[in-house]
Amino acid sequence: MGAISKLAARPWIWSYLGLLVVWLATVTFTGGKGGAEILSAALSFGTFTVIVGLGQMFVITTGPGNVDLSIPATIALSGSLAMKVMGGADAMLLVGLVVSLLCGVAVGGFNYALIRLLRIPPIIATLSSSFLVLSTAIAYGRGLKIKPPPMLADFTTARVFDIPVLALVVAGLAVAMSVLLNRTIYGRSVLAIGQNMRAAWLAGIPVERIRFLTYLLSAVLASLCGFVLAGFSGGASLNMGEEYLLASIAVVVIGGTSVAGGRANVPGIWGAALFMFLLVTMLNTFGASAGVRLIMTGLIIVAVITIAGGDKPQR
Amino acid sequence: MLKKSLMGAVAMTLALAAAPALADTSGKRIALSNNYAGNSWRQAMLKSWEKVTGQAVSEGVVAEAPAFTTAENQVTEQAAQIQNLILQGYDAIVINAASPDALNGAVKQACDAGIVVVSFDGIVTEPCAWRIAVDFKQMGAVQVDYLAGRMAEGGNLLEIRGLAGVFVDDEISAGIHSGVEKHPQFKIVGSVHGDWAQDVAQKAVAGILPSLPEVQAVVTQGGDGYGAAQAFKAAGRPTPLIIMGNRHDELTWWKEQKDANGYETMSVSIAPGVSTLAFWVAQMILDGKEVPKDLTVPFLQINQDNLEESLANTEPGGVANVEYSLADAEAVVAGE
Repeated sequence: MGAISKLAARPWIWSYLGLLVVWLATVTFTGGKGGAEILSAALSFGTFTVIVGLGQMFVITTGPGNVDLSIPATIALSGSLAMKVMGGADAMLLVGLVVSLLCGVAVGGFNYALIRLLRIPPIIATLSSSFLVLSTAIAYGRGLKIKPPPMLADFTTARVFDIPVLALVVAGLAVAMSVLLNRTIYGRSVLAIGQNMRAAWLAGIPVERIRFLTYLLSAVLASLCGFVLAGFSGGASLNMGEEYLLASIAVVVIGGTSVAGGRANVPGIWGAALFMFLLVTMLNTFGASAGVRLIMTGLIIVAVITIAGGDKPQR
Repeated sequence: MLKKSLMGAVAMTLALAAAPALADTSGKRIALSNNYAGNSWRQAMLKSWEKVTGQAVSEGVVAEAPAFTTAENQVTEQAAQIQNLILQGYDAIVINAASPDALNGAVKQACDAGIVVVSFDGIVTEPCAWRIAVDFKQMGAVQVDYLAGRMAEGGNLLEIRGLAGVFVDDEISAGIHSGVEKHPQFKIVGSVHGDWAQDVAQKAVAGILPSLPEVQAVVTQGGDGYGAAQAFKAAGRPTPLIIMGNRHDELTWWKEQKDANGYETMSVSIAPGVSTLAFWVAQMILDGKEVPKDLTVPFLQINQDNLEESLANTEPGGVANVEYSLADAEAVVAGE
């Protein structure tokens, strides 16, 4: 087996190929101008999609029907809570982070309680909890747009050699998540449950505990995203999470994770997040109208998923 | 028995006789049907409604004026909501509609039931309803007119649009483009959708900026100015003239720039308090006043000299606002 066919068998390769093609098309159109800046912008904005994408990946991997739709609401609540608690003071930075993460723990726990205790399907459970979460954010968040503490704002927008520092940190997070997925009992259990929940249960895996941890992880990552996103964009707003509903699912799927569960892929999430940003940038640069942009985005996503398809379970 | 009903009749006559002391609409019930509450503008809109109608109710101008908001910003949901309001027997329904035409069926039902329907901001096209429309085209055009006054030599413009597929976005954009036709020294070199949200605008602008030549000015739709400013800063580009949209973060940023380097721009949007204008219009119609079916909402424009005053009156996270009184509404109806 040659190196190329080996590479082609990697499910994440397609998202990277896609981003390369899209980037080349954009740079060709601008006559080679701004290529590096576009990549740098993609890195800084792709970061946020990656954070929520990682959590969504674990949830989706636990099998058909598992998806976390409360991510946008969690982002909004965690961002506004943290900004309000910190009130723009550097000294409160840690407190803000803890509050934000606790908010994720609460939402994740609540989601799972709905799924487990009330036996509501995850899609409905997380969607309805997202209404509650967003309503909390609305009720609590009058007087939003509190500026983030300068330290947080500086950290989230800092760059080293034009590479956003946050992107480097999240790259580290992705590596950690990859280890968690492939090298720990928890990660292996997630994959096993996604492949066959009953078999996993018979093999002695504590299925419900693992699912609980997975929804918790997803909500905590969404909270973290809300925290840094609010720092990055100069404050929280009620609709700041809106675009991450579809994006979190799209990057997981484009990145080569199986929608049917049981097969996950961390590197693909990075590729897909950058690809999604560059795709919009390309169509904006071409001056495509919003309608064309949406149609193209849809078609290209379908195309990438089709090409990257094939369903071999991961062991 | 006879005595009892006689007394009842007397009581009724007395009640009727007493009525003119209050406004004729004191027994009337007006409902607000609102399609969305998830941004600061809508929050301020609902707050203004609460404040003004609360006072009107306590003064006995109307019996009650509750606000109802749909959860999902969907046409079907709002249509069902309007049908509920019809069944609950409201005398007037004030609507901020999810769609200009898809609610027409429900609106017609309300009219047929003898209910006064007043739509504002998100208007409906059903002829039986009143429309308090914003001249969004003009809102786009005044921006380019302002730029023409500031930059005689013209220059490159970056256009930040709103939410794709919404008619407000098309209208403002059409206004901006007609302004550019009128002032051909300007050229739109790029156009992105910022969804009226600061973070979305920041992301979109950051994406397109590297491919653009130098940008002299940014024309916007409101809510997106601060995000644009941040994207320019992050890209290390000189800050262009960015038209603002009355949001607190935009005005704050403008104030900081003005103090630091004399930065000059203007800000234009619709005051969320337009809901209270719609309330008074509905009240006037119920009162039997003659009101034309199509009305236009005045803009709220902020200039260099009244920036401080407007900023002081805008709460953090909110948008510059004015609430309308009955007298203001009468002036709008009279076309002043």
